[in-house]
Amino acid sequence: MKIELRDVRHVYSPGTPFAVEALGGVSLTVEPGEVLGVIGGTGSGKSTLVQHLNLLLLPTSGQVLVDGADALSMDRTALRRRVGLVFQSPEQGLFAPTVEEDVAFAPRRLGLDEDEVRERVRETLGLLDAGHLAGRSPFALSGGERRRVAIAGVLAMGPEVLVLDEPTASLDPTARGDLIGLVVRLNASGVTVVFVSHDLDEVAEVADRVCVLEGGAVRAIGTPADVFYAGTSPAPATVRVAAAVGERLPGLGRPVRYGETLAALRGVMGGTG
Amino acid sequence: MADPTSISCEQLTYSYPGAAPALSGITLEVRAGEYLGVVGPNGGGKSTLVRLLNGLLVADSGRVRVAGFDPATEPFEVRRRAGVLFQNPDNGLVAPFVEDDVAFGLENLGVERVEMRERVREAIRSVGLSGYERREPHTLSGGEKQRVALAGLLAVGPEILLLDEPTAMLDPAGRDEVLARVRELRASRTVLHVTHHLEELFDADRVLVLNGGRLVAAAAPEELFSDADLLRENRLVLPTVSRLASDLGLPFCRTPEELAAAVEKRSRDNSGVEAR
Repeated sequence: MKIELRDVRHVYSPGTPFAVEALGGVSLTVEPGEVLGVIGGTGSGKSTLVQHLNLLLLPTSGQVLVDGADALSMDRTALRRRVGLVFQSPEQGLFAPTVEEDVAFAPRRLGLDEDEVRERVRETLGLLDAGHLAGRSPFALSGGERRRVAIAGVLAMGPEVLVLDEPTASLDPTARGDLIGLVVRLNASGVTVVFVSHDLDEVAEVADRVCVLEGGAVRAIGTPADVFYAGTSPAPATVRVAAAVGERLPGLGRPVRYGETLAALRGVMGGTG
Repeated sequence: MADPTSISCEQLTYSYPGAAPALSGITLEVRAGEYLGVVGPNGGGKSTLVRLLNGLLVADSGRVRVAGFDPATEPFEVRRRAGVLFQNPDNGLVAPFVEDDVAFGLENLGVERVEMRERVREAIRSVGLSGYERREPHTLSGGEKQRVALAGLLAVGPEILLLDEPTAMLDPAGRDEVLARVRELRASRTVLHVTHHLEELFDADRVLVLNGGRLVAAAAPEELFSDADLLRENRLVLPTVSRLASDLGLPFCRTPEELAAAVEKRSRDNSGVEAR
């Protein structure tokens, strides 16, 4: 599934003294099968942008196309099933007495029969390494566990595109690593992922392409190496290290991911490293 | 300060209703003026500790003293001496203008008007937000909101700051803003700083590791950060720069520049060896 935004503007409270333009004409394509990282400071329009991908927000002007067709004329419920959106602090949406019931809520509303619902819940919790939590109360879980349960609730709908808005904020580093692993696995199974984050190191690790938003406009979009080595946006630690080494030694290239950077540094150090 | 001990806990134990202990048998002492980091996995007990220290939760057993008071029985005495900065900058801000928000804690203490105005002005200045007095909090960035929340604590004049992942929801610029203020403030206060980002604790005096509700280590940062087993057992991950240095067999590094210098040196050493 391919989603295109064409010159999308979004104004909050239009026509009032409080009108604020959050997006000022954004065009970009989410390609099928990719992991698109979206970065930018607070207020740059990241959350507003991603809510246009399943029309939780409607553009003030401009177009949203899904596989070439106008998304505005599509059934919204069907669209939201295909494009799953996990908000910041999604655990605030947990409400059911058990984890299992919470995850089952959305698939049940899709009208699936009970066996299918149970199967999806089991499968999704398993994928998130949260099967052992099924009978627990969502309120007795740690922050990382609650986050995984909330994501499971969206995954249980079987979306083709998964949009994660700051999914790792306030998770511990290991839980963050697990979540990155999950994104990689989901993507390998064919799910397109849009990954919004403040953490450039983790965006560097998962993204096929990176989009930098600034003041409601696309400042840069391209491969992580092209975007991060252009010097126009903040760069992840690996790129900052490579840039600092590049000033002293030739032949390092443009590594972005941790493994690439480690190998490149070993290469320029020579010897047995 | 007469008492050199700022915070003390003895055999502190707490369980949330119907769950395994969130903290068990925690004993620790924090010196006045100490900068103490607290790390550990989600569910390790970090936030529970902060809540017990400021009286939001009451321990099942054990003893807590904060600035000489028991937070369970004298929470207001504790709260005027120990301010808590929480994770989410949106949760704490309540008033229409920045200056009202900063004054909120003071109003509750019944400070008289002229003094209050002066303390609010000074608190706003000390977090670098002079000129923001009449701004509406919802128009601020995350880093600015956290600094407003911090100013609200400072106006009350606490000798202790309890920071519970204050940068977790901020972008890199906001994080730098808040950390810069913390570095200034620690000079004159006891600071307990809970975080998942080990690089925020490079200059801490000590770092506590809480895991499964237990205090499993208390060490100087360089000691903790170079103990690979301890890090792994407690789900801690070194900052990228330090991890690269460690994986390359280089000495501990904090910044890209330090690492680049170490890489260059090793490269020259190695080519020297090959030339011979």
